Amino acid sequence: MQHPSSGRRFGRRAVIIGAALATVAISGCGAPGASTGEASTAAPSSVSTDASTMSAQLVLYDGAGLKTVDDGLIAAFNKLYPNIKITTRFDPDNVQATNAPRVLASDNPPDIARINALSDSVQANVLTPLTPWQKAYGWDKSIPGGQMSQYTVDSSGVRGTGTQYSLASGFTVTGVYYNKQLMAKLGISDAPTTVEQLEADMAKAKAGGVQPIMAGNQTGQIVTSLQFMLNDQLGSDAIDGWIYHKPGASIDTPKSVAAAQIISDWAKKGYFPSDTNGTDATTALGRFVKGEGLFYLSGNWDAKSLQTAMGSNVGFSLPPQDSAGKTYAMSDPMTNFGIPAKSKNKDAAAAFLNFLLTPQARQIAVDNGFAPSGSGDVPSVTAGSLNAGVQKAFASLIESDGQVQYLQNATSGITAVVNAQIQLLVAGKTSPADMMKALQSDYEQELAK
Amino acid sequence: MSVASVPRGRRTGPGRTAPARRGHRNWAGWLFILPGFAFYAIFVLKPLVAAVQYSFYDWDGVTVGRWIGIRNYVRVLTDPQLISSIGHAFFLMIFFTVLPTLGGLLMAALLRELPSRRFGDVARTMLFLPQIIPGAAAAIAWVWMFSTGGTVNQVLSAVGLGSITRAWLGDFTWGLTAVGIIGAWINLGFCTVLLMSGIGKIDASIYEAARIDGAGFVQTLRSVTLPGLKQEIGVCVTMTMISALASFDVVFMSTQGGPGYATMVPGMMVYQLGFTQSKVGLASALALVLTVLILVVILPLQRAFRAEEDE
Repeated sequence: MQHPSSGRRFGRRAVIIGAALATVAISGCGAPGASTGEASTAAPSSVSTDASTMSAQLVLYDGAGLKTVDDGLIAAFNKLYPNIKITTRFDPDNVQATNAPRVLASDNPPDIARINALSDSVQANVLTPLTPWQKAYGWDKSIPGGQMSQYTVDSSGVRGTGTQYSLASGFTVTGVYYNKQLMAKLGISDAPTTVEQLEADMAKAKAGGVQPIMAGNQTGQIVTSLQFMLNDQLGSDAIDGWIYHKPGASIDTPKSVAAAQIISDWAKKGYFPSDTNGTDATTALGRFVKGEGLFYLSGNWDAKSLQTAMGSNVGFSLPPQDSAGKTYAMSDPMTNFGIPAKSKNKDAAAAFLNFLLTPQARQIAVDNGFAPSGSGDVPSVTAGSLNAGVQKAFASLIESDGQVQYLQNATSGITAVVNAQIQLLVAGKTSPADMMKALQSDYEQELAK
Repeated sequence: MSVASVPRGRRTGPGRTAPARRGHRNWAGWLFILPGFAFYAIFVLKPLVAAVQYSFYDWDGVTVGRWIGIRNYVRVLTDPQLISSIGHAFFLMIFFTVLPTLGGLLMAALLRELPSRRFGDVARTMLFLPQIIPGAAAAIAWVWMFSTGGTVNQVLSAVGLGSITRAWLGDFTWGLTAVGIIGAWINLGFCTVLLMSGIGKIDASIYEAARIDGAGFVQTLRSVTLPGLKQEIGVCVTMTMISALASFDVVFMSTQGGPGYATMVPGMMVYQLGFTQSKVGLASALALVLTVLILVVILPLQRAFRAEEDE
């Protein structure tokens, strides 16, 4: 039994001790993050490109969903260079982006790492500039401009220009999946290539009792539809400029509002499922497979499961083109691989990056349903398959230089905001103008550092 | 602790004397709490102090932070989104606290009346089951039940309420209520079992006396069960209120705060700010405000329940 007054006295003492502890702790250490040892981010002056003479143990870090592709790439690389051993480290896809900043900044980082926020990582001094290898391997000549712009950051943190810090293992590509049986039933002969055609097809579907677009907006899937409209309204330079933090870039413009208005109109006309805000992307995919939905706006990551589940009943086409006849589609690295500043095997890591541009590696990317990195002959695919459609679409997208970054890549926090806002928009709880204002204001808040 | 705080020279009980060396404190007692305290200091006190420190910085978690004084706190207390998330947490109390406590009380009282002991055990086990399932897993199961083709809508359609079916968790009006129902389901078992054990402590002869006096179920509940359960009800209310204010797992697994910001709660906001938006300072400030808020709500309650006990 504790004496009441002693209990109170002890309590008071604890408070004093606690306060003292806190004071000591707060005054004792400096600003958080200050203790992180500064890594050398200067590029080495001389580099080696002869991978057959290197002996190294590398660690590759990526999201778990890409394990099959990465394992395939590593196996092919090892066949060429058995002297370089690569082990892997995967984080689950839903937390990988959350973990990445700490993985990159750790004292013992991987040698080849998935970079999610390229600009942030460069500014945090955790990446190695690839300039010397770019010159030695001739990447500046072999990599198309639209791809290179996804690897570069300038000294003020603006992407799309400046020094190369990364290289992709392959690319994603977005577009419109369509259910061929439903199209035939509705008397639609071809996939839509313009917004007018798309809207006409959707009106036909609605009138015929078919759900025009299947989308799981609980996970923000209608953002894909929105960005297709934004791409057409604004063009790739304006969108990429915003995503790459170009000074003065804004998404709060009359054209963006017009794009959001289109989505808002579609929602009012019932072109999206009425329960879209309570349906996640996985469920939506399953419902599209079952024939609920004429169109499914998504990317190549769904191609494999759609091919398996729907066979020849599903097709893929690029998003509708803008009024001038130009086609844009979101397309970014499957994994943007960089070399952490504290890696001890940078030459060997760069040799692996260079391998990603070879025909073997390109074929592996394509076999897994992604678009190939670099340039060259289109790798072989089964004729008539959905993958063949995806690859054909990607090739024509590269040809027309229509690759656009995803809105979600603008800042690390924008996904949460844009998801919430698109849910509000399709529910009619916010206006297109207010939505764009909200996106811009959150974007500016996050960039103001 | 009690050894160290025994007043000098006072006998604490028959046959026991105060420590022989009165001039010295008995430090051996402190030695025993050392291992536990070390863990507490490393895993609770240090992060707490660190959070206080971070809350005064604009810090992304990796690069060097920038001292910005109380600006994070100003933002927490003025940002309408952050404030509305705190409002949601209070709304959730209806489901996390009020319903489970009342329901638990009713369940416990009913189970006491059950003549069959075996049936009572089965019922008790079933009621407690939700408590041993992790909140995250329960949320996933409920997501299926609340979905468009899920159990909830099937039941509604079966009883002729097909017109009101919807994706409940994706509905702006009903989303937060749906999340609350998940919480109520989880907390009900906890309250029931706690209150049942409390009832077990009440002298059976009092119930016997009430029965002989002709008291019915309601009157027994009011005059015997309730007064005897004050302490347990206090624990129930305290624990469930904390779970409402600090709710995270259920919301994270079911709605992530959506649709829009309709089910956003402070716990979810702290996670988003700290881990996806890399605003560690702001997240720390919100977390500390939440901690203070919980203390402000819970401490008077604790006092109230204790005061009633003393009467």
